[in-house]
Amino acid sequence: MSKISDSVLQPGCELRRVYDGFWRYAIYLFGAISFIILLLIALFIFREGYPAFQKIGIWQFISGLRWDVSDQAYGILPMIIGSTYVTIGALLISVPLGIFTAVFLTDVAPQMMRSIIRPAIELLVGIPSVVYGLVGMLMLVPIIRQSGHGSGDSVLAASIVLAVMVLPTIVSITEDSIIAVPNAYREGALSLGATRWQMIWHVVLPAAKSGIIASIVLGMGRAIGETMAMIMVIGNSIIIPDSIFSPARTLTGTLALELKYAAGLHWNALFATGVVLFVFILILNSFGFLMLRGKNK
Amino acid sequence: MAVKIQIRDLNFFYGPAQALKSINMDIYENKITALIGPSGCGKTTLLRLMNRMSDLVPDTRVEGQVLIDGQDIFEKSVDVVNLRKKVGMVFQQPNPFPKTIFENVAYGPRMLGTNDKQALSKIVEESLKKAALWDEVKEMLNKSGMTLSGGQQQRLCIARVLAVNPQIILMDEPCSALDPISTLKIEELMMDLKKEYTVIIVTHNMQQAARVSDYTGFMLLGELVEYAVTREIFNVPKDKRCEDYITGRFG
Amino acid sequence: MSSIKHSMKKVGVLLSSTLLLAAVILAGCAPASAPVATPQAGELSGTINEAGSTSVQPLAELMATAFTAKYPKVTVNISGGGSSAGVKAIAAGTVDIGAASRDIKITEPDVIPVCIARDGVAIVVNEANSLTGVTIEQVAKIYAGEITNWKDVGGNDATITVVSREEGSGTREVFEEYVTGAFKKKIKADALFFDSNGAIRSKVASDKNAVGYVSFGYVAGLKTLMVNNVAPTIENAQSGKYPIVRRLYFLTKSVPSGIVKEFIDFCRGPEGQKIALNEGYIPLVLK
Ligand SMILES: Nc1ncnc2c1ncn2[C@@H]1O[C@H](COP(=O)(O)OP(=O)(O)O)[C@@H](O)[C@H]1O
Ligand SMILES: [Mg+2]
Repeated sequence: MSKISDSVLQPGCELRRVYDGFWRYAIYLFGAISFIILLLIALFIFREGYPAFQKIGIWQFISGLRWDVSDQAYGILPMIIGSTYVTIGALLISVPLGIFTAVFLTDVAPQMMRSIIRPAIELLVGIPSVVYGLVGMLMLVPIIRQSGHGSGDSVLAASIVLAVMVLPTIVSITEDSIIAVPNAYREGALSLGATRWQMIWHVVLPAAKSGIIASIVLGMGRAIGETMAMIMVIGNSIIIPDSIFSPARTLTGTLALELKYAAGLHWNALFATGVVLFVFILILNSFGFLMLRGKNK
Repeated sequence: MAVKIQIRDLNFFYGPAQALKSINMDIYENKITALIGPSGCGKTTLLRLMNRMSDLVPDTRVEGQVLIDGQDIFEKSVDVVNLRKKVGMVFQQPNPFPKTIFENVAYGPRMLGTNDKQALSKIVEESLKKAALWDEVKEMLNKSGMTLSGGQQQRLCIARVLAVNPQIILMDEPCSALDPISTLKIEELMMDLKKEYTVIIVTHNMQQAARVSDYTGFMLLGELVEYAVTREIFNVPKDKRCEDYITGRFG
Repeated sequence: MSSIKHSMKKVGVLLSSTLLLAAVILAGCAPASAPVATPQAGELSGTINEAGSTSVQPLAELMATAFTAKYPKVTVNISGGGSSAGVKAIAAGTVDIGAASRDIKITEPDVIPVCIARDGVAIVVNEANSLTGVTIEQVAKIYAGEITNWKDVGGNDATITVVSREEGSGTREVFEEYVTGAFKKKIKADALFFDSNGAIRSKVASDKNAVGYVSFGYVAGLKTLMVNNVAPTIENAQSGKYPIVRRLYFLTKSVPSGIVKEFIDFCRGPEGQKIALNEGYIPLVLK
């Protein structure tokens, strides 16, 4: 019989410790590098945006209603509101639809349908943004126009296009979290006389809540950051939209539209818009993160 | 002595594999009936047929009848949802919902349409008392059911079943995941429950069957080999295989 | 353990936010390196630095790409800054070529402007529109929001969908200079804005009540309107009859020589002018 010290004190142990240590530091290093890159980007954006805040005033910049470059008037309230509306609109469509689809895929659809619908949804991810924009511009916008509400370029059109774009994110993450709900919950509910629908609604979805929230936060991040498709269907008017049929402009839309050949204060104002966007997304993500953590407790 | 459930020539198939072979069995009202037998003999399968949880497994087939109060539960006109409200089930692994203790128990009544806070509170309190859990949790009804110990969770699941006011309670190895003290509590509870309910318990713990049950059925390879008053099964088993199993000379 | 995971998650939040944003911003970020003039006389090799009008920039970039493809030993750096900056830079000698999308003012330093193309803008409507012509003043009023119905300019009774280019667009600069600006008006904020001639074309082609303006090269599939009774043709633009046209200039400090001369000649020659035409500009009249 060999003693335990024979095996725990093997010479190989030392080497393995070095190896473990190496990877530990490597991971720290990569973490640090990505953090530094991030910091540099943030610094750059802030540095370029700072003069605008200085010259215009933070409050005037954020609450200003007029964006008129020839007049050196830079107020982004219409864009803040435009971004908010479009994001909310997109989520109002994509969240119910996404959850419904995910439930359908996991708990309702027969295997056959599942094997058709799932790849179809995943395919949506690979389609370039511009294609969504074009389809929206050439099909969706004319339909809205024919309904008799303005030119068709609208918050509604943008919300629908965005909703389709974030749908795969929401479906796939929600689906994963629904699948992760233990079968015991389903059986528990059914054995109490729950109908299938009651089981899904009262037990499965609440149990999958944190995953669903994560999917919404990620979807929202994509919605806010998405630009190319957006500027093709929203009209980009610098006004506060007064209905879902009204055109509007988003924060990212302004950047994408005007950054290319901007100079001087205009350039700074665009970067200041980037700073606002940065803070916007940071708050959103932190919010989602906190919510996730709260729910996991 | 009233018969609550009559099982007649029951065969059950998972695809081509026959899991139950012509089972005949009368289960008595307000008694505890235990099902024992080696692993894989079909105890769970038989139990889950009694509230048609067996429906959840695709590609299965039932022959014969299960009559509850004379009604064949496999008839087309039978509504499973209502059936399951009358025939509750407790699982091997405690499976409280990720909700508060209160909401776990209130889940069934809510589904039945009770939304009045006071009425719900009353049902929850009664059910938890019947499940011998009230004293332990009455101060923390708003805590998650998942924070309880395994034994408490199992009693919470029993309370959850009681809250929908069933007539029959099916228990599939309810103590196999629990420590001896929790097991004892659940056993005491079962003795209590039989005053109001008909209880059927699957167990692989012979002592447990001997301690709590009034009737015991011994199953082997999908057959009900012997079924009798518990005392008889354990003292004078008629079948050689049953005797071997009980005396521990088997599997 | 949990604290490490915890903080890494936080970094993740920050990281994903920033990357998202950075992707948005960097996509539109033009390099702004400070040019240093080191002209090298002799055979075709060396570096040319150009700066100035952002309206000239896209055209100059394409011409430079073609030029350096032909003469691989030459490097051409094109940067922006605006027309005024272009004049200042060439006067100060910090670049080899300046660029301006307007005439040189009397108050500005003395530089030599060389026209490399004209930039003309056509007023376009949907092919279903019955209108054939408008006055510049009518167009200005439509874009300012003072005229909102086609019937007020002789068309059908329908609300006009006003479509414009984004702020900073060279095409828009021309339009503002010769149309809205000429009547001291501004493009209304609730017009629809798109960021390319192509997008304007798609929009106007699909909306029968839309009006837009595009560079001459993008009128296919659209109906162009006569402006003050002059049709927007290349000949009319070259002859100066068509009113919504401006010249794009390269600026030099003295009579160009060496690779600077070669580059300017290339731009003004058949190869450069073909690029100009392809991009929707009005080419010079070649002899
Ligand atoms: N879902 C299922 N699909 C196919 N076969 C099953 C399934 N569940 C159980 N079986 C089979 O049926 C037989 C009885 O199983 P079960 O009722 O779980 O036995 P016990 O509960 O007595 O251990 C076993 O042979 C088992 O492999
Ligand atoms: Mg079992």
